Amino acid sequence: MNHKGDFLSLLKNAENIHLDNDSIEPLQGKNKSGPDAFLLPSIENRNSGSELQIPEATTVVAMRYKEGIIIAGDRRATAGTAVVHDRAEKVIPIDSHSALAISGAPAMAFEIARVLKHSFQYFRRSQLQELSVEGKLRTLSRLIRDNLPMAMQGIGAVIPIYALYSPLADESENGGKIYFYDALGAHFENVDFATTGSGSIWIRGVLRYLDRWGDTQLEQMDQRKATITILRLLDTASEYDAATSGYNAKAEIFPTVKTITQDGIESLEDEFLSECYAEVT
Amino acid sequence: MRDLPYRWIEAIQDRRDYIEDQLRLGSPVVGLQFEHGSLLLTVSKGAQKIFEVHDRIALSAIGHPADIERLRMLVTDTASVQAFQSATEDVNLHRLTHYVLAHTFKQAFEAIVGEAYIIKMLLVEIGNGDATTQFTHINYDGNVRVQEDSSVIGGTEPIETAMQDYLSSKQNGTKQDLKTTLQLALRTWAVGKELSQRFEDAEEDTDVSEEQIDEIINTALDEGEIEVGLLDESISGDTKFRLMTQDEIQDTRQTDN
Repeated sequence: MNHKGDFLSLLKNAENIHLDNDSIEPLQGKNKSGPDAFLLPSIENRNSGSELQIPEATTVVAMRYKEGIIIAGDRRATAGTAVVHDRAEKVIPIDSHSALAISGAPAMAFEIARVLKHSFQYFRRSQLQELSVEGKLRTLSRLIRDNLPMAMQGIGAVIPIYALYSPLADESENGGKIYFYDALGAHFENVDFATTGSGSIWIRGVLRYLDRWGDTQLEQMDQRKATITILRLLDTASEYDAATSGYNAKAEIFPTVKTITQDGIESLEDEFLSECYAEVT
Repeated sequence: MRDLPYRWIEAIQDRRDYIEDQLRLGSPVVGLQFEHGSLLLTVSKGAQKIFEVHDRIALSAIGHPADIERLRMLVTDTASVQAFQSATEDVNLHRLTHYVLAHTFKQAFEAIVGEAYIIKMLLVEIGNGDATTQFTHINYDGNVRVQEDSSVIGGTEPIETAMQDYLSSKQNGTKQDLKTTLQLALRTWAVGKELSQRFEDAEEDTDVSEEQIDEIINTALDEGEIEVGLLDESISGDTKFRLMTQDEIQDTRQTDN
């Protein structure tokens, strides 16, 4: 019996489980042992990694608005210079009040999101209480840190944004919280906004400008204004970053936009996004 | 050696008598369908007795708390691992019952040198798509009974029969709203509660008046011990389980009076 509520331990102890970090051996340190087993990949290995053409690159962004958090991501998945998919979902609901926006290799990112979702559910079901916010953050840290060998080989880095609405928040305050991670699993709370992915460098400064000197501070925006702002940001990223898609009017492919409020997670409908786009362009 | 099989049968019968004696005073559990899903209702003194197993599956039980906990964890762990290894859609009550729980119950019951589980379990799964809702009752000896509209577990078989008869006399075949269904579940539970007390006092009369039912319900509501778990289709997201708050349960009484 597993009475710790630790889903990863449960999986490792279950029969026929293949999810075991020990089996993820670094290419470079395969025949080595000891502390130098995880070395930075050589140029040759990095090249061989890039030859695998792992789909990656993206722009995801989260910001606080009046009612909570708005979180969005473009839909493009690329491998090198090739667009391999234009309907990727990069904002993944994890539980009733939190979502993960992923950038990096989708295979690892989707698996991290899946493990995270199952871990939170398992803790609640086995321990008869919700995992604390700090517990959730540490679980994600652990998963990102466990993915380090893949990140070091240049074929599986995942840098997510984790956004949630705090269950302890008073009705009068905004309980939205945004956390940013590095590849080693360290987490930092970004108070007003966070963005990651290859297109993020083009919009981080814009977010700062809007929040500081814009007509309306990000946190004071209503849902419509926040949506228009976030669509404009993604549009800007797509203008300068080839790995980020914009709004595809012909195929009617919209970015994924979700809100996280006291009432839970809501996916904004294409119809509403279409109305907002009419104001964007 | 020739008399060994007879000793085994005797030991099994002793074990059955012992377990049934232990279960006799257990607080009954009622499972009913309502318009948006299903509910489980019981009365618990402190410890939680209705549990979420998976997205669309919940359980409750009567018996020894340690056995309930051990088997709850077994079924929860199995469902969680299966859902991760394949998909949540591949977890269903039929598989959990027949390939995990039933044989575990039976094995423990018949291994006379080991400890038996003192437990009766009621699980419910709300149907997804074309699948129907199922209530699954598992006895301590591994026997399984599946019902669709409702199910009960009580300390003894006569208690369960009386509760089921009461339910049948009140149900009209249509799914009611939550409040009406909860009231019926509460009244059915009260029948079981009253009978378990009577059987303890060696009375055999199974008629329970509506006044007696009201009295038992009011006492339970006053003491705030009623526990109700819902599998509710109207809850957004994959997970359909929630426990009702005491305020929601107390609201039942306001309508009742």
